[in-house]
Amino acid sequence: MATLTTSPLTLAIPSKGRLKDNCNAWFAGAGVTMEQTVGARGYRASFTGFPDVEVMLLSAGEIASSLLAGDIHLGITGEDLLREEAPELEGRMQLLKPLGFGFADVVVAVSQAWIDVSTMADLDDVCAAYAHTHRRRLRVATKYAQLTRSFFAQARISDYRIVPSAGATEGAPAAGTAEVIVDITTTGATLRDNGLKILDDGVILKSQAQLAASLSADWTAEARSACERLLRKLDPANPLHAGLAAHLPRA
Amino acid sequence: MVTFPYYQTSAMEALNAQAMALLNLFAARGYVREEPAVLQPAEIFLNRSGEEIRRRTFTLTDPSGRDLALRPDLTIPICREAVLANRALPARISYNGLVFRHQPGEPNRPTQFFQAGVELLGLGNARAGDAEILTLAVESLRVCGLKDFSLRIGDLALFGALVDGLSLPPQWRARLKRHFWRAGYVESLLHWLGHGDSAPKLPGSRAEIEALLQADAPLAGRTREEIISRAMDRAAEAASLHLDSKIADAIAELLDISGPAQEALAKIRALLKTIGINLDPQLAAMEARLATLKSLGVDLSRVQFTAHFGRNMEYYTGFVFELWARDKEGPVQVAGGGRYDSMMEMLGAKTPVSAVGCALRTERVLAAKMAGGA
Repeated sequence: MATLTTSPLTLAIPSKGRLKDNCNAWFAGAGVTMEQTVGARGYRASFTGFPDVEVMLLSAGEIASSLLAGDIHLGITGEDLLREEAPELEGRMQLLKPLGFGFADVVVAVSQAWIDVSTMADLDDVCAAYAHTHRRRLRVATKYAQLTRSFFAQARISDYRIVPSAGATEGAPAAGTAEVIVDITTTGATLRDNGLKILDDGVILKSQAQLAASLSADWTAEARSACERLLRKLDPANPLHAGLAAHLPRA
Repeated sequence: MVTFPYYQTSAMEALNAQAMALLNLFAARGYVREEPAVLQPAEIFLNRSGEEIRRRTFTLTDPSGRDLALRPDLTIPICREAVLANRALPARISYNGLVFRHQPGEPNRPTQFFQAGVELLGLGNARAGDAEILTLAVESLRVCGLKDFSLRIGDLALFGALVDGLSLPPQWRARLKRHFWRAGYVESLLHWLGHGDSAPKLPGSRAEIEALLQADAPLAGRTREEIISRAMDRAAEAASLHLDSKIADAIAELLDISGPAQEALAKIRALLKTIGINLDPQLAAMEARLATLKSLGVDLSRVQFTAHFGRNMEYYTGFVFELWARDKEGPVQVAGGGRYDSMMEMLGAKTPVSAVGCALRTERVLAAKMAGGA
């Protein structure tokens, strides 16, 4: 594993936005004070009274990939990003606690003009008809390629192809770069503004922020005890700190 | 098997000798050997195959930004070349080469392996084509020295013909056929058709449907007419969508039939009689394949017919088969093939071109032979 810090335990939290504010509120509510310092190579912080814990401020996407790579022990980020980064979480990551903020749904959306399409079964018909009529597969724009693949496979849809989207996915059908999108939404307003609607059975994942542990990080005895101590403070009502040890690899 | 095989001298020599024997057999039957590039334009696999093949295809981007793929099979590039080069038909083409497959969730399966095989394109007589390829598959294993093997056979056309005989809207017939190879799902569709509630309703008149379409939303790749016409079909089907529960249950029962081929066919005949559907031409085609196997000296008790048997590659349209043997770890599929009559048109052929072929997993054939057969 790559060593990003010298502290026994590393926790990464989102470096900006509402997720960061919600994390801070959660820490404050548990009586944990975070002191942020600007380090030479990105943002670092620490918790008062927890000298063996280093806090890193990373982008939400980096937190998911760092957990997977084992570069950090703990991380807080959206479940959508975790599941997209590692379709098979088992043995690689442990979701410790849904945090009750950062709610968002990953959904399948089509144009409102498609009045004949309201379910995945309809979409399946349209995919097949489209491949036949237009001699190419219907395109699904998304940044959630893995989630889309497994959801479409469950819905038994195969006549489509994924077009990777870096941003503004909701504009793809109007721009003509894809016919269907899989994207994240909280209220559905952005989708509606772009003339799109969510399929009745098109919710792939009801996501929220998760506290997750990497199973490939370097779990030394010091890291384990620092982790238990921190979680007992952050989440006293939940006996998860007792159960956590069983899920972590032995040092 | 390992994820990244390393071929020692002795293994390579054994594989080469086996490949020569196979290619000589193919040549003796009139097949010319060809070799598509290992690195292919990605879109021929990604546009023409479903997401299942795409998921298992290694793709990469070249320095100029072009999407490439390591060939996940040789059938698609060979058929594509036949279309592009406007080959004289019927064409008989053989190959032996590496293919590359990502094996998600199965870290112990190899990501590259050799395949030897044949493609028979544009032979008008389907029954003769099925017999030729089936014969060649059996002869292939024998020429490799593998005498002890069993077969699994099926026919997607049997189910297609059955569904065509049902009083269902065309899009429902198409849907059932398209999902034939997904055991479980088709049964749930049938159950819903026989016992379920009717579909949600759309307005019935064209004017009402057109009024709904006034929304300021993108057509997203479909024409207005495509949308209106499917909406009207759906409105019509909502009223009529129902299947006699006796027929729905009988079809589900039929799909469950599996066993020694002759017994299975007898069961199918009996079941079809009870619901008054005639599939004699399709059943006769299956009988003819069994006769072919018998004439080759294959013990028919080792030929298993499975009604819902398709292949996990999505392009098969008719007869499908697999040949199985044993290596030192247990049963292993050593060859597979079938009919894929829609492939050539998907690849751009202007008229329908029949296609049937088979491929051998030559490393598995060798391992099975070394283990002493089944």
